[in-house]
Parts: sequence; C-alpha cells; structure tokens
Amino acid sequence: MRRHADRVYAVVLRFGAPGGEAEEIVQETFVRAWHAIGGFKGESQFFTWLYRIAINETKRHMTRRGTQLERVAADDTPLAEVGDPAPSPQLRAEHGELRAALERAVRALPMDYRIPLVLRDIEGLSTAQAATVMQLGESAFKSRLHRARLAVREAMEDYLDVEETP
Amino acid sequence: MNGGPIKRWMFMRQHQWTAARLSEYLDGELSQRDEERVEQHTGMCPECSRVLATLRRTLRELIGLHDEPLPSVADGVIERLRRSW
Repeated sequence: MRRHADRVYAVVLRFGAPGGEAEEIVQETFVRAWHAIGGFKGESQFFTWLYRIAINETKRHMTRRGTQLERVAADDTPLAEVGDPAPSPQLRAEHGELRAALERAVRALPMDYRIPLVLRDIEGLSTAQAATVMQLGESAFKSRLHRARLAVREAMEDYLDVEETP
Repeated sequence: MNGGPIKRWMFMRQHQWTAARLSEYLDGELSQRDEERVEQHTGMCPECSRVLATLRRTLRELIGLHDEPLPSVADGVIERLRRSW
C-alpha cells in the first residue's frame, strides 16, 4: 500500500498538483479504485489502471477548485524537495542543479504535454500503455510526447553538454 | 547547404521529416529504413545532429528522474487508505 501510494503521489505531483492537494488526490484515487475494482478486467496492469484514475482525479480536483492545471510557476518546489522542507546542502549537491532544472522544465509544460512525458519517460510506460492511459491514438500520443521532449530540451539546453557523442 | 535549388529543397524536406521523428528514433520505434534515413540526414545536418544529441541527453536525464527518492505520503493518509481498503 505504502509503495503504491508513494508512487501515485509522485506522479500526481509531477502532473502539477501542489503537495497538500496531491495527498487528497492520492486518497481519492485509491478510494475510487476500491469502488471500481470490480471493473478492473486485468487487461491492463493494475498500475496502468491506477494511473488512469489518478489523471481523472487530478483533473477533477483541479476543476472543482477552479485551479488551472496549466503551467506551474517556474519557481515551484522541485519534486525532490517535497516532503523535505530543508534538504541538506549535501542532498542539494547530490541531486544537482541539472535535476532541479529538469523538474522545473517538466512542471512548466502545459498539462496535455506534461502527462505524456511523465508517463512515458519518467514512469517508464511503453508508448502503447501510455497512449491507452491517456485514451489517445499512438500517433497523437507520439506527437505530444515529441513536442514535450523538445520543450524540455530547449529549457535544458544550457545545462546539456552538446559536445557529447551518442 | 550548398547546391542548387532542387538540392536545397530536397534537403529541407529531409530536414523536416527527420526533425519530426527524432523521438521515435531514440525510442527505437522506426523501421530500419526510416532509421537509416534519420542517420543519413543527421550525419550531414549540424542542426539535427545537435538536437538529436541534446534530446538523447535530455531523455537520459528524464529517465533518471524515475530513480529519484520518492516523496512520502503522510502516515495518516496511509492509515485512512488501509481502513477504507
């Protein structure tokens, strides 16, 4: 339970929900999953099904609160620091400026681009799985994913070593 | 890009085609023929070559975020979930 809840929490935070609201969304996701468990046919992995519910709950939550789930302020808290209000200087050094900038770049994406990138690249779903979760055709999904990656790449360009070879 | 207008036009067509497929290339989701087409163009186009290199690095860093320590949901939330499940 703890492992699944923390995973969903991380995903919801990356979808753009602020920390306190993300915990509420996690609760609502699991409660809704519990009520709908009879409808889970096992055609998809349990976690893929849970992602779908988490996306719906995130959108529902934000709509209810009149919150725009669009770009999150660039100075918003990096995910690595959520739940740890005072990370040590050593922790900051370990995570590095690049990772923090990367988190900010992801959170600055519009929601329709952020979700494909979180599901495919960070959560490691296959293109087919992530497209199913988003209820998109693979072609439309790939197009959003590519745009999202290009936007993050552009935001990160100053941090990347362009001399690096494949 | 040197050459006449037809060569330049062909180059730009390849450029646009390649630029739209760099993610699929990195994901290994192109046919072998299309992979070769991407490699041929990126081999002669400094801009696409640079975008591909930085996109590859961006993707590697994004994948690395999965292994970042997870923030934890408050214990009280877990307790409420355990009771409701």
